[in-house]
Amino acid sequence: MKMKVEFKLNGANVSVFAEPNRRLIDLLREEFELTGTKEGCGVGECGACTVLMNGRAVNSCLVLAVQAAGNEITTIEGIANGDLINPLQKNFLEFGAVQCGFCTPGMVLSASALLDKNPDPTEDEIKEAVAGNLCRCTGYKQIIEAVKETARLSRKN
Amino acid sequence: MIPSLNVIFPKNLNEALSLLSDNSDSSKIIAGGTDIIPGLNQELNRFKEIKNLIDVNQIPELKGIIRSKEKISIGAAETFSDILQNDTVRELFPLLWKAASGVGSVQIRNRATIAGNFVNNAPCADSVPALLIYNATLEIESLSSKKEISLNEFLSAPYRTKLNRDEIVTKINIPFADKNFTGEFFKLGRRRAVAISRITLALLVDWRDSVINEIRIASGAVTPIGARFFELEKYCSGKKADDQFKKDLSRKLAEQIIKVTGLRWSSEYKLPVVQQVCYQMLKNIESQHEYGI
Ligand SMILES: Cc1cc2nc3c(=O)[nH]c(=O)nc-3n(C[C@H](O)[C@H](O)[C@H](O)COP(=O)(O)OP(=O)(O)OC[C@H]3O[C@@H](n4cnc5c(N)ncnc54)[C@H](O)[C@@H]3O)c2cc1C
Ligand code: FES
Ligand code: FES
Repeated sequence: MKMKVEFKLNGANVSVFAEPNRRLIDLLREEFELTGTKEGCGVGECGACTVLMNGRAVNSCLVLAVQAAGNEITTIEGIANGDLINPLQKNFLEFGAVQCGFCTPGMVLSASALLDKNPDPTEDEIKEAVAGNLCRCTGYKQIIEAVKETARLSRKN
Repeated sequence: MIPSLNVIFPKNLNEALSLLSDNSDSSKIIAGGTDIIPGLNQELNRFKEIKNLIDVNQIPELKGIIRSKEKISIGAAETFSDILQNDTVRELFPLLWKAASGVGSVQIRNRATIAGNFVNNAPCADSVPALLIYNATLEIESLSSKKEISLNEFLSAPYRTKLNRDEIVTKINIPFADKNFTGEFFKLGRRRAVAISRITLALLVDWRDSVINEIRIASGAVTPIGARFFELEKYCSGKKADDQFKKDLSRKLAEQIIKVTGLRWSSEYKLPVVQQVCYQMLKNIESQHEYGI
């Protein structure tokens, strides 16, 4: 039987009915058409489905939609300011950290959760933060550089 | 596809225990869901009968990490990320801290709970050797009973424990040791993050004037379930801790592991690795002792 699920999604209060066996990733993509959240492996290993739950990165393929109730969920669509991309996204583009782009939403959200907690991360901390996000294209170097540069710029401002 | 089921969100322990006792055959606790959700999705036999999932994430009795005079009590539904932020765990139970830091990825650690890890009791559950080596005990409640048993006694076989279907693990208690332990936790996986452990070993040594006062040894992944090696530990106490001793102990540990596993196809590559890893860990522990780290 469907259950009512009320939560905060990208800053707005939302209320939907969801089957208890539906995963959060499916609710986000199908019900809210937030297709920036990608499904790679479906078993918690690739991080393409990463979203923020109360500011912490989680795999939305491993969360039930009904478990979002009462929590705050942020997807990649919610970290940009309308059509204006945020500095982290901009640096991903500038540093060539986006190639096929499939891993990018998850990667950006993992990095964003890190920078919120730790504005001056070491390279090892950056690697640890994105270790659950697989990228088959870039070799990670550009991604790490983009995160470093974002941290550097935000400290300067 | 996850089969159709109900999910219930009790607000306190009593409510959760009543729900479990009413329908214990068809109900199961869900905490972080990192074992259950992929398991349901893949329609694993272990999760076949489930009609009701009881979500324990909003139960205050299962949360919090409290330090008292003689022990630390970790709420069963604390996530590995929460545990990593606790200073007492980091300072006084460094092997548990290290084990927690190696679980999955940030995303997994943000959801995965400590009780979910050892209740699932996969051979590769990383918290198990770390908790065994610190003599952790579990508080377990049902509607009509309350008990405390050691983790060692609780674990019975791969993916099996002594938990009854109407029971919930509420707390993990870890006593402060009255020894001067130095230790190491080692995990070998197939790749850096999101690695299913292939070999885990934990060692604690109290070393006095190069004589072994007490040693504790626990394994995971190489043995069918995480295990302590009590006989071997006893054999070591009072021994002079020279290089020969380190080699002897490493060989004996590998032999013991063959004994408990029965030879498996993977033993051939694992055993020399275990021997080498154990030796290296003992050396590292010794140098930490010497330099007073
Ligand atoms: C991609 C990926 C990587 C992983 N990597 C690792 C790793 O490196 N190391 C490792 O050890 N594990 C790893 N895991 C396994 C998993 O994350 C852990 O076992 C986790 O700790 C399980 O906790 P949970 O809260 O998610 O459990 P759940 O899936 O919610 O539950 C697991 C079991 O425990 C029971 N349970 C939970 N809480 C209680 C309670 N309080 N009382 C009674 N029963 C309870 C449930 O009924 C269920 O049977 C990985 C998993 C994934 C998906
Ligand atoms: S799709 Fe969720 S982690 Fe791969
Ligand atoms: S850019 Fe293609 S997977 Fe990362």
